[in-house]
Amino acid sequence: MFRLQGSKVLAVDMAGDAVRAKNGSMVAYDGQMAFKKMSGGGEGIRGMVTRRITGEQMTLMEVRGQGTCYFADRASEINLVSLGGDKLYVESSNLLCADGSLRTGTSFTGLRGGASGHGLFTTTVEGSGQAAIMSDGPATVLRVAPGYPLCVDPGAYVAHQGNLQQNFQSGVTFRTLMGEGGGEAFQIRFEGDGLVYVQPSERNTVGGEV
Amino acid sequence: MSTPVVHDPTTLPSDDNVNPYTFCVELKGGQWFLQKGKMIAYYGRIDFNGIGHGRLDRLLRTSFHSPLHASDWVVAEGSGKMLLADRAFDVNSFDLDEGNLTIRSGNLLAYQPSLALKQSIVPGFVTLIGTGKFVAASNGPVVFMEPPIRVDPQALVGWADCPSPCHHYDHGYMTGVMGGVRTLTGLGGVSGEEHQFEFVGAGTVLLQSTESLLPEAATGAPPQQPGVPGGHGSGHSSGHGGGHGGGQGQHGSTPRLPGQLGDLQRRFGL
Repeated sequence: MFRLQGSKVLAVDMAGDAVRAKNGSMVAYDGQMAFKKMSGGGEGIRGMVTRRITGEQMTLMEVRGQGTCYFADRASEINLVSLGGDKLYVESSNLLCADGSLRTGTSFTGLRGGASGHGLFTTTVEGSGQAAIMSDGPATVLRVAPGYPLCVDPGAYVAHQGNLQQNFQSGVTFRTLMGEGGGEAFQIRFEGDGLVYVQPSERNTVGGEV
Repeated sequence: MSTPVVHDPTTLPSDDNVNPYTFCVELKGGQWFLQKGKMIAYYGRIDFNGIGHGRLDRLLRTSFHSPLHASDWVVAEGSGKMLLADRAFDVNSFDLDEGNLTIRSGNLLAYQPSLALKQSIVPGFVTLIGTGKFVAASNGPVVFMEPPIRVDPQALVGWADCPSPCHHYDHGYMTGVMGGVRTLTGLGGVSGEEHQFEFVGAGTVLLQSTESLLPEAATGAPPQQPGVPGGHGSGHSSGHGGGHGGGQGQHGSTPRLPGQLGDLQRRFGL
């Protein structure tokens, strides 16, 4: 059972079950806990190799026990995500914790990853349960439905879930090259049905300066 | 607590905060001035055009009077809802009614074209004049103070209606050789608070609750002209005439002729 203690600490109540969390993110616990490092995020040999090849490496640990365990990482804001059989796409560096029953994997993101400086692959979390993602400042959750697509700055994008198509939109014109560009030359456009998490802060991206 | 609020175009507020760090602007065919890179997401059809865009000339004539900041600003145009945020800093909107407000240029995120943006004579600040709404960021919530007041230069966000912002130096800063050496070298007994900005008269002073600033963009240096404060870039605070005849204080390779038009680098803010 995930709950937030303040906005920057995640408390997980456990009764003999397990969660997967970012390695070293435990700040406190009470009760009996066992921490086990999971090579390759618990995805087996194949997952491990995939992660090594795609550069989407994450070191996770499995926490199992009775009691309450507290997680936090560099005072980032934590956002809870509940999954009901759908898929969450998140950068491995932004994933803090996931239920033990959720499956993690990697997927190809296409151009979006390249523009936001994350690499071309992202982490997926799939199944039913809860997960916690981190953002710089509390994330805003925006719904995308067939009637209204959403455009997001690659630097502010954190995660998305549901059945969404993303395509990369570029407004680069000759004015951009002249230094008179609109400042928002690259955007990711989401269409379909799902949720997008954006943070109130922009990472430095390749497209950030044009 | 555990279930986050999900926003869609109908539930997003119109020209109001979504949370303390995110502001939502609703565009209905209108225009907003926007500092580059502060838009994080939008619904609808919105175009972003640089200040140099020819179609915007008439708008710029009334609402934008700072060639030095031109490369930092864009005009958002269209219809839809747009979210603004800046480095997870607190974001707030303020309304001006036939008023004026001066703000650190890096802290201003967006403003309505019914306001006019002008460069302040205090370097690094811009002044908004007119009626309308603008959005500003501050590191920590903004505190409003009444003059007379002395404030730390780094905590100052801006001020409204104050006629006389000036520098104030502590007495010990200026007296004696040792005082000078101390403050220049930082050795021995420096509190770091020897210099303040002083405001007197009627008005409001806006402060942020931290001393860390938004990184200043390299643009925003005032033009090098006689009588313009801080017009010499760094270092040369001249003032005493010095070796340069005429008191113009040019130290570049080519002196600027009076009446010379702004050159290309300045136009692009380089």
